[in-house]
Amino acid sequence: MAELNETIHQTVRLRIMAALVTLAPNEEVEFIYLRDLLEVTDGNLGAHLRKLEEAGYISVNKTFVERKPRTYVSATTDGRKVFSEHVAALEAILKSK
Amino acid sequence: MNISPSEAEEALDAIQVMMQKTRRAISSSGAYKFLIVWGVIWMVGFLGSQFLPSEIASFVWIWLDILGGLLSAIIGIRMNRGVRTSSPTTSGRRIAIFWLLLFFYCAAAIGVAWPVDGKQLAMFIILFITVGWIAMGLLLSFASVWWGLALLGLSLVSYFLLPDYFYFIMAFVGGGGMIILGLYVRNRW
Repeated sequence: MAELNETIHQTVRLRIMAALVTLAPNEEVEFIYLRDLLEVTDGNLGAHLRKLEEAGYISVNKTFVERKPRTYVSATTDGRKVFSEHVAALEAILKSK
Repeated sequence: MNISPSEAEEALDAIQVMMQKTRRAISSSGAYKFLIVWGVIWMVGFLGSQFLPSEIASFVWIWLDILGGLLSAIIGIRMNRGVRTSSPTTSGRRIAIFWLLLFFYCAAAIGVAWPVDGKQLAMFIILFITVGWIAMGLLLSFASVWWGLALLGLSLVSYFLLPDYFYFIMAFVGGGGMIILGLYVRNRW
């Protein structure tokens, strides 16, 4: 049976993962775009991204686009797997009601 | 880790909302620009058809079509800069190529059918634009497919059943409708 994941279950991290797994596996989203989508502050988003990156669920790619620094974020294969397991666990809890 | 069914339901709802918001943001991030560009072009073009001699109006349409094709290509290239693939701008570039090809097909079809009168020329352009619109809708945001089909239906009805009001309907209902829809999509996001 799928298990809940404590790292992902936190509200902001759950929403971050939901947004990232919606993208295609070869796509990544810019930090600012993600911040606006989630309606959170830079600091808040940065802190949650660090936690997810440390867990290996997301990948953070810092690069330059037209000489400007850009940070792109994407879900890793492991992150996608853990997220789908988390969703399955949530659905199982709901079914057992 | 244990949570109650109501907490699980809340979490699933939050996931659902976020996924829908992300999909919508990605799909609508460029679509509204196409609508506004083509709405303005339709309004100017059809008002030209109404008030200018047909030969001049035909040339106005051709130049507007070129302008629209170029602007659509630029919008396609710049689309979704917040989201990129491992092969950057591939999809944007393909969208741009699609619009350029559609423009050339449209020009070729008009050339083959020449001579055509003003209404026929306008209808050719409308048919190709709505094909492009519906294709973009299928690719980016399915909801806009219905708007494209509605516009196509309105154009055909006006052309065959209300020929005297064709240009006015196309300028204000068609062009104006596209501008309003584009602004609505932009403001919703």
